[in-house]
Amino acid sequence: MQYSQVQLLAGKGPEDDRFSAALRGVAVDRRDSVYAAGDREIKVFDDAGRLRRRWSTAKPGLAVAISGDGRVFVGQAGQVEIFDSTGRPSGTWRDEQRLGLVTAIGFSKAHVFLADARDRCIRRYDAGGKHLNDIGKDNRMKGFLIPNGVVDFGVDAKGTLHVANPGKHRVERYTPEGELLGHFGRFDGRDPAGFSGCCNPTNVAVTDGARVWVTEKAGPRAKVYDSGGKLMAVIAAGVFDPNCKNMSIAAGSRGRVYVADTVKLQIFVFEPRAEEAGAA
Amino acid sequence: MSDDMTRRGALAKAARGAAALALGGAAFHLVRKAEGQIVWNVDPALCINSRLGETGVEVCGLCTTECVVSQSAVRAVNEFSKCGRCNICPAYFNVTSAVNEKGLPSEKLCPRDAIERKPIGEVDPDDPANNFYEYVIDEIKCDGCGKCVMACKEPLGLGSIQLRVRHSLCVDCNRCAISIACPKDAIEHVPSERAFDHVQLGSHP
Repeated sequence: MQYSQVQLLAGKGPEDDRFSAALRGVAVDRRDSVYAAGDREIKVFDDAGRLRRRWSTAKPGLAVAISGDGRVFVGQAGQVEIFDSTGRPSGTWRDEQRLGLVTAIGFSKAHVFLADARDRCIRRYDAGGKHLNDIGKDNRMKGFLIPNGVVDFGVDAKGTLHVANPGKHRVERYTPEGELLGHFGRFDGRDPAGFSGCCNPTNVAVTDGARVWVTEKAGPRAKVYDSGGKLMAVIAAGVFDPNCKNMSIAAGSRGRVYVADTVKLQIFVFEPRAEEAGAA
Repeated sequence: MSDDMTRRGALAKAARGAAALALGGAAFHLVRKAEGQIVWNVDPALCINSRLGETGVEVCGLCTTECVVSQSAVRAVNEFSKCGRCNICPAYFNVTSAVNEKGLPSEKLCPRDAIERKPIGEVDPDDPANNFYEYVIDEIKCDGCGKCVMACKEPLGLGSIQLRVRHSLCVDCNRCAISIACPKDAIEHVPSERAFDHVQLGSHP
């Protein structure tokens, strides 16, 4: 299985469709519109790569995600800011104790999951913002091992969480209640099927649970595994700035994969090669 | 008491006072000199082994080869408060070496085996990754080659290991031989209180 780069969004610069200092999060909605959180802004690109909307956030965004009803959740320090799909504010969940640094957001039918990198865990909330339980705290290390400073996860169609635990070189699966279901991954600095360096993968994305997309740092690359942990493809390596880390990753329709380069401030868009698109 | 005796006593007091003042002044001057002593220092923001943004470059070993002290006065130091305490530390292991039966890299990075890896607390027998590890540099063995510094740097590591001039070993050359050779002018002459050797190093909790 092989991927090709099909688009390049944003970049560094003063123009409206570029970022000046930071690009932290990327998300895709059902229509393949791309939402990017960087600086103190959300920028929305259509599937042709044109900037459609942009709006300011109260604090620098660390993560962005689109809920089932189309609302835009932006993770920040100490809070989550919520907007409707046009960028109009519709609320803020503040919780200084539980939302130290919100570096990832996910949804199931009834719940919102927020990663708190300061406490190295994931919080589960109901749709109204009431805290229900924590995920990843109930272990010997009292949280995920994140020397990279970011907790990232994805939620599949069944509501299972797939969490990057980079210090253990694993992707772990949890129930919404916090029970560890299993994991895949191992250290290997030579075999691309393994995770390299001190702490990888840093970021993860899932859709239906059949594919798990990840990014790694040093050297930065994007890969895709099947649900059992078998490497299906190295999507890209060598195109990202070698100094970037914590590259947010998202998956859209047509097998498209979106990766945020945190140094070049660009979003790389990849697609399975034509003869393999059907299989993806 | 005669006027003569009074005058003599006053003169003696004045002389003692002047002597005390002179001694105090000299001591003050000496203390000031010690505080303001100029020493050699490695600026980690300039050193090619530690400065951010330098990836894919060869490790610079000039601190090892150019110092006039037989085993360089520059040593690697791990600032524990910044260390990620990783199971697989890229400064300790050669992370590109083959994986051994324990799932760890089979080779160490340090050519002098100067880094010790110690589990913090008890190792989980079922899952050794379930632990933090402390990495302690043996400065007697270290010769400041910088390999661990380069490997610890962002984005691979967290930059907790840096090169420092150990002033107990440095012979204070007027013109440091390393500073002459350093391509990045990372060896600087600074007041002792600004030197990184004075930074307090902690230990893991």
